[in-house]
Amino acid sequence: MSYKPDEKEWMAYLYGELDGAEKDKFEQYLLGNPEAQAEMEKYKGLRSILSAVEDKEVIAPPIVVTDARQRFIWDIPYLKTIASIAASLLLIIFVGKLTGTQVSFQGNEFKLSFGGGARPSEKVVEQVPVTLSAEQVQEMINESLQQNNSAIAATWKKNEEKLASSIRTNLAVNSSKIDRLMRQASLANQEQIGSYIASLQSQNIQQVKDYFALSATEQKTYIENLLVDFADYLQQQRTNDLQIVQMKLNSIELNTDLFKQETEQILTSIISSVGNAETKETKN
Amino acid sequence: MHAETLLDIAMMHSDTLILKARQGDQNAQGKLVQLWYKRIYNFGYKFFLDHDLAMEVSQKTFISMCRGLQGLQDATRFKSWLYKIAVNYCREEARKMKGSRSLSFDVVWNREAEDSPKWESSSQRFDNPERQLQQSELADLLQQALMELSEEQREVVIMKEYEGLKFREIAEVLNISENTVKSRMYYGLDGLRKILTKRNINKESIGYEL
Repeated sequence: MSYKPDEKEWMAYLYGELDGAEKDKFEQYLLGNPEAQAEMEKYKGLRSILSAVEDKEVIAPPIVVTDARQRFIWDIPYLKTIASIAASLLLIIFVGKLTGTQVSFQGNEFKLSFGGGARPSEKVVEQVPVTLSAEQVQEMINESLQQNNSAIAATWKKNEEKLASSIRTNLAVNSSKIDRLMRQASLANQEQIGSYIASLQSQNIQQVKDYFALSATEQKTYIENLLVDFADYLQQQRTNDLQIVQMKLNSIELNTDLFKQETEQILTSIISSVGNAETKETKN
Repeated sequence: MHAETLLDIAMMHSDTLILKARQGDQNAQGKLVQLWYKRIYNFGYKFFLDHDLAMEVSQKTFISMCRGLQGLQDATRFKSWLYKIAVNYCREEARKMKGSRSLSFDVVWNREAEDSPKWESSSQRFDNPERQLQQSELADLLQQALMELSEEQREVVIMKEYEGLKFREIAEVLNISENTVKSRMYYGLDGLRKILTKRNINKESIGYEL
């Protein structure tokens, strides 16, 4: 037997981590080698002694992990949009710098120029003499205000006139229409009304007559049916009653028959017992 | 050697929990801590034979875990990854202790013995108090024997014997070859055997407890 397992194989076998052919080989070696077998037993014994150490019970305390470390800066809400806005602004500034864009806001003027063309316009701005005094400005304001006011008043007047004229025409049209209608209504005379009422009356009379006729025939048939039904019902009731009476009579008859038989039996038994007693007495 | 408890099963099937925790779900992180705290604590406790140090290491480990989970690529490697963190913190604490030399293991041992009587802390499932005492005495002796091993051997023995990691996983934790792990285990067990024989502890002498 040339095979001699080394310490690694010993350990792997001891902890059941040797498998397949290697395990078989090791087991064969143990079988043919009592010393090795004893050694293995010692190891197993040691393991069983070691198992006397049991786990200690412990309760996990709360683990506090500060949030700051775990959270990346990108996780902050809106940061992405803010960052993108900032980036685009930077880009605009950069491009502006490259193309020589100049933006100025001076004397109520906003100027945006590319390629350094803003200077001449600044000169123009400088040429305009700013010599207006406060009173002049006030006058100008007043003037423009007056102009405005007069313009507004004019438009108002126009509108008013238009409105008034349209209202007047509408009124005229409407009143003429109403007059016409009134006149037509008054034209209808007494005769027409009288004939109308007469026709209404005759119609009503006819309707009432028809209604009465119709209802009378219907009532007649209904009452006839009702009477027939009632006669049938009475007939039925009578037969039922008769049957009941018959039944009762029959049962009474049966009962009396039974009673008769019973009394007969009793009588015969009494008579026979009396007879027996008499015979006994005579014997004695 | 350990019967599979519900906790063990939960630990084995915590893949979805790990995935959730990795996405920053604090609830899932909390659950992971609950699941693994006992294991890491017991690893630390056996490594130092000291409750405070074990708690310290466990807390640091789980804080690191919560922070570092996002960087964990493979959820199936979670176990070895977690133990790796724990081992690193254990080594760090051990280094600090060596530097200060203020308390030796004997001191730790004695203080521990005074502070927490075993009848209070260990789980009780034997009715006989005498047997209980013997059992806890044996456990103490074994713990002491573990402390006599070198740090390298101790880590491996605890992870293999008490934490039930595979040799492959231990190799991953320690970033060494599987053969080196097995070799350390071998010498670790050998060392333990010698220590125990020296103290006259063998299967026969403690047979009534097993």
